[in-house]
Amino acid sequence: MRNTWAIAKKELTVYLTTPLAWVVFTAMAFITSLFFMALLLSFKQVHDTVREVPGGWAQLPPEYQAFRNLTDGVVVNLWGVVLVVTLFVAPFLSMRLFAEERRQKTFELLMTTPTRPIEIVLGKYLGGLGIVLGTLGVTIVFPVILAFIGHGESGSSLEWSTVLLGYAGLLLWGATNLAIGMFISSLTESQMVSALVSFAIAMGWMLVKSLAPNADEPLRSILSYLSFDSQLQSLLKGVLDLRPLVFFSSIIVLFLMLTHRSVEAQRWT
Amino acid sequence: MAMIEVENLTKAYRDRLAINSLTFSIADGEIVGFLGPNGAGKSTTMKILTGFLSATSGTAKVGGFDVFESALEAKRRIGYLPETPPLYPELTVRGYLRFVSELKGVPSKKRAEEIERVARVTGVLSELDRLTSTLSKGYRQRVGIAQALLNDPALLILDEPTEGLDPRQRREVLDLIKGLGGKHTVVLSTHILAEVKAVCEKVLIIHRGTIVANESLASLTEGKESGLEDKFIQLTAE
Repeated sequence: MRNTWAIAKKELTVYLTTPLAWVVFTAMAFITSLFFMALLLSFKQVHDTVREVPGGWAQLPPEYQAFRNLTDGVVVNLWGVVLVVTLFVAPFLSMRLFAEERRQKTFELLMTTPTRPIEIVLGKYLGGLGIVLGTLGVTIVFPVILAFIGHGESGSSLEWSTVLLGYAGLLLWGATNLAIGMFISSLTESQMVSALVSFAIAMGWMLVKSLAPNADEPLRSILSYLSFDSQLQSLLKGVLDLRPLVFFSSIIVLFLMLTHRSVEAQRWT
Repeated sequence: MAMIEVENLTKAYRDRLAINSLTFSIADGEIVGFLGPNGAGKSTTMKILTGFLSATSGTAKVGGFDVFESALEAKRRIGYLPETPPLYPELTVRGYLRFVSELKGVPSKKRAEEIERVARVTGVLSELDRLTSTLSKGYRQRVGIAQALLNDPALLILDEPTEGLDPRQRREVLDLIKGLGGKHTVVLSTHILAEVKAVCEKVLIIHRGTIVANESLASLTEGKESGLEDKFIQLTAE
């Protein structure tokens, strides 16, 4: 396992000395900031409306109800945005993991030192995970800002359990995307192909949900079960649910195993 | 004792036979020149010995360990310089050598010392803090050799180590390789016959995937000055 750590460290060094990780951090920060501000504005508008309407919240349509508190009105919606941004940036983080080694011929070095393929796979995955955590870590600043400047009717302005469960869901989602992307990266020498294919898979996965309503049973249940949206819903809403944990962990393990196979198969080319 | 034992080693790609039933052995401490025209199967053989590729059939042992069955044990005994020096452009020479020494299991206390040793031997001591992407071709090659020397492997497999070096660097690298003999077993692949004459005791010539010569340099050239060239051209004729 010492080699796993050495490889993870090397991956982190490479990520942080190239612009890639910084571009991704910036993109995440920029996009989520815009949405954060937009959500705050909507939040304010709804509250202004409530004050003018006689009867208050009870008179407003249901879509306004989420804006009753900062947690549901801002943070939960923001996590929905982060979810989509992650889907877009994860392929850029995972694309280089193996493709670059093959192109630079350093894969030969990794494979001829006394390192087990599983150590290579785990080391690379951990290194990438560090950067995914960093990318998502940028967004934790928004609930922190709200906690400082916001105030609620009942003491704390945020329901931290909801915020953090949603965040855990995001981490799980990022980790899953990375595992899939890493497997794709292990199949090709081209980072471009790796990013495009990983992205196509993530997009396809996103569309699964919209196919579900038109399908017949039992296909419909299967499709809506496989949709990551419905898997993540409960966590994002702050419901502690172990099913998505099991679901995404299984996908991660599956793709780590596939990557391991792919690395080992290199010898038979 | 034999450092390398290869028996009936065959590697078939989809449409062609890269090497065909190679059998040879290389004794401990020998410096062997591994020659052959382009595409003869030299690199394939080296890649199998280092465990990067698997053979279609046959066995290969390094230090008594099968490169397939006991891959890790075999790999611990090998320092390998591939055709292209496997460098990470984002790392400094020191960072790179540290990474490889970690992979090779150099104990953390000895790492700095070991990095300095290989850097001194290969003459990259003054370049330790440069990014490998900024190095000239000669230095890249030397860092590649430095990496192979880490953890003092018993067997060194060098695929065209003097490629891209100027005459002075070439001589320095050859002197270095010569100095490794006796203590290390060295398999040196090259196109340049003069280099073989300068450092090797034994010559292995491979042509179209089969061995056409496997003997000492002296007996192959029969003492003639141009003996190696003549033999090479004769043995690798169509």
